[in-house]
Amino acid sequence: MTADGYFGRFGGFYVPEVLVFALKELQAGYRRFSQDSDFKDDLHNLLCTYAGRPTPLYFAKRLTDVVGGASIYLKREDLAHTGSHKINNALGQALLAKRMGKSRVIAETGAGQHGVATATACALLGLDCEVYMGETDVERQKLNCYRMNLLGAKVNVVRSGSRTLKDSINEAMRDYASTSDHTHYLIGSVVGPHPYPTMVRDFQSVIGAEAKEQTLAQTGRLPDALVACVGGGSNSIGLFHPFAEDKEVQMFGAEAAGEGIETGRHSASVVAGREGVLHGSRTLILQDDDGQISETASVAAGLDYPAVGPEHAFLSGIGRAKYSAVTDREAVSAFHQLSEAEGIIPALESAHAMHLATIVARDLGSEKALVVCLSGRGDKDVDQIARLEGML
Amino acid sequence: MSLIGATFGALKSSGEGAYIPYVCCGDRGTEFTVKLVRTLAKAGADIVELGLPFSDPLADGPTIQAAMVRALSSGFTTQSLFDTISRIRDDGIGKPIVVMTYYNPVVRMGVDAFCEKLSKVGGDAVLTVDLPIEESRQLDDAAGDNGLDVIRLVAPTTSDARAREIMGQATGFVYAVSISGVTGAKDTLPDTAVSLLGRLSRISSVPVALGFGISNQGQVRDAISAGASGVVEGSALINMYSQSSQDEESVLDLIEKHSRGIKSATRFISDEETQKERL
Repeated sequence: MTADGYFGRFGGFYVPEVLVFALKELQAGYRRFSQDSDFKDDLHNLLCTYAGRPTPLYFAKRLTDVVGGASIYLKREDLAHTGSHKINNALGQALLAKRMGKSRVIAETGAGQHGVATATACALLGLDCEVYMGETDVERQKLNCYRMNLLGAKVNVVRSGSRTLKDSINEAMRDYASTSDHTHYLIGSVVGPHPYPTMVRDFQSVIGAEAKEQTLAQTGRLPDALVACVGGGSNSIGLFHPFAEDKEVQMFGAEAAGEGIETGRHSASVVAGREGVLHGSRTLILQDDDGQISETASVAAGLDYPAVGPEHAFLSGIGRAKYSAVTDREAVSAFHQLSEAEGIIPALESAHAMHLATIVARDLGSEKALVVCLSGRGDKDVDQIARLEGML
Repeated sequence: MSLIGATFGALKSSGEGAYIPYVCCGDRGTEFTVKLVRTLAKAGADIVELGLPFSDPLADGPTIQAAMVRALSSGFTTQSLFDTISRIRDDGIGKPIVVMTYYNPVVRMGVDAFCEKLSKVGGDAVLTVDLPIEESRQLDDAAGDNGLDVIRLVAPTTSDARAREIMGQATGFVYAVSISGVTGAKDTLPDTAVSLLGRLSRISSVPVALGFGISNQGQVRDAISAGASGVVEGSALINMYSQSSQDEESVLDLIEKHSRGIKSATRFISDEETQKERL
């Protein structure tokens, strides 16, 4: 990566002039505090005493037996405070915002997990918090909306565009353009202009760093493969990054194929996207022939985004990581499989990774081991699944 | 010198500022766009900013967002923009045309291909809202090769050093954003605009057009006396036709009248100087 926030030719700083000052201030702030030992100690302390880190690495023996192949280990981000990996980044950035003297934090959210994590971090650190959430997502994730309210955050319902995650990012950017003197925009994924893709990756790398240590301790060697779901791509990059130089460790990203790639109703930007510029980055984007951004679909609100973090576009381009798309149907089936085999109800986002993990496990064969990032717990999705299956 | 440069030169010598209306291409159909541009030219517009709609306009407020959605949902394509410019030129309207858009539609078509086509149909400049100087080399080269100006933005939060850099690379004019925020009509000129115009006029003699929030003659006079060489008006014009229940002809008449007023306010410099002479 270059100093300008590029990953090969992807990434960069494609922002309106009104945002340049704030983002350069953030770049400088992040550069400074990421090397500050007090800041790092404070964050580490919060992650351990407040967020429940390290999260366990769990050998899913029954699932491994059912699948028949490589040993499947689950990195249990679902056991982190607020129920997903999103808290890692939210605490990091909220702490940074506080150090930079900001009194207000804004965020976008899709599934609501990042919104809840941000509201939590803001409650903890005494920061005002407003979360932008698309109307479509508010409807399918009502409970998370209420959780944010409980935590003292204000939820701004976004009614522009497709009323999902991408539109919430647009609205948050508009807010940031006029409030950046006292507001920090806490982006929840490895997307956006520099420094976000790098900064969010760094805060999420705790996932991979712990997983590496834990696999070595439990199995005496590195895993043969890593599997994670990819919307914007924060939990996956967090798992992958600390293994970047371990060439023998394969990396697999599970994108959302929605109703099927051929239907056009999906969110698989690496698998089916084309290069372009959106939300501050040059990356792979689902778009039409005129460069208008496509509307996306997925049963998992957290994967419902038409682009992907620029580092994933880069990793795919150089062949370091492989990306495939998992349909709604396959994800829902994996959701049930993990619930029944292990007593763990995964988030629908993570269920995409679980499906891909079963395929990778069979391909690798026994004697091998893989780590799946179980990025979040499925409580938020139980209602949706029950309705989907006619139980409610 | 480019047509835009020559336009500012001529206005300066006659003691006027430039009136630059923004038109969202394809809103209400391209037929309406052509009529609107004709009306604005008749009312005294000096340069026309033609917006190429984008699905995710994160620097725009609700008015322009809605206009873009209307245009795109009626089947507007990048080719429609080029066709519209051709028709405007066929209509005998020779005013400089600046295409204002976001970078992705340009990238999708290919930066070189986009500039070549724009130049061929008679466009004069391109302004991509989400392309700061750090990332604009490819567009600068392609625009330069095709004789197009690249219009750059400066904001109230742009430092003097950065403004100097931006203005040093300027072709045509520099677009000063009046507020730290998004587009949308307002009643008065914010203090941030006045101080920005003052700073910019001390830094460089490159023409500066002020935009974001412009909707009335008072603001235009304030902008010109604070050092602006022109004003851009967008959302206020869109509001005039999108919120009206009147027929098209009456709406265009109202717009013409309004725009004549805005244009007359850009002659404030010469008026002021004439008054001084009288005294």
